[in-house]
Amino acid sequence: MRHPYDNALTTVALGVALTAVLAALLRLLA
Amino acid sequence: MDMAMLDLLARWLHFLAGVIWVGHNYASVVNRPRWRPLAASDLSDPDSPKLKEVINREHGTFRWASVVTWCAGIFMLWHRGWLPGALQLQGTLAPIGVGVYIGTLMMLNVWFVLWPHQKKVLGLVPAPVHERLRCSRITHLSSRTNTMLSIPLLFLMASGSHGGYLLR
Repeated sequence: MRHPYDNALTTVALGVALTAVLAALLRLLA
Repeated sequence: MDMAMLDLLARWLHFLAGVIWVGHNYASVVNRPRWRPLAASDLSDPDSPKLKEVINREHGTFRWASVVTWCAGIFMLWHRGWLPGALQLQGTLAPIGVGVYIGTLMMLNVWFVLWPHQKKVLGLVPAPVHERLRCSRITHLSSRTNTMLSIPLLFLMASGSHGGYLLR
């Protein structure tokens, strides 16, 4: 079964997306 | 040696060991950008004892680098008295607090998910071929999990303040 981690670009894209979500949450909760 | 100098050394170690640790991870991403399943023939390659030794040494290097990185990071927060606040995600310590949790998760991933399965893939722990192939899939996903988590972690580290201790 294919997984997003099977491709370097989707792995990095997931990391960037998680960064954006965490940054937004931290701003929201600050 | 005063605390400011210890803090500077901890920062340096944190960078150095962090680069060694995550650098290995990114080297893997660059070398193998796409998942390619191992075949049984890969495990019985005549060069495999040599490869096994190389990968074992490489793995040991970044596995212990993860511990040095983590300890240096915790030390820096602890000696400032920031550790409890960071862990409770209080105020301006919240970003680095989230970073502590992500970094801890990454170190635990290396030691308790990646390494036990890698030992089987490398044949350091005896396992049937089908089990070694199954473990190679898990080590891939475990390694890429850390690649992915390193992206927000580095952002959260970069979002902290800088003291300029060397010139103080």
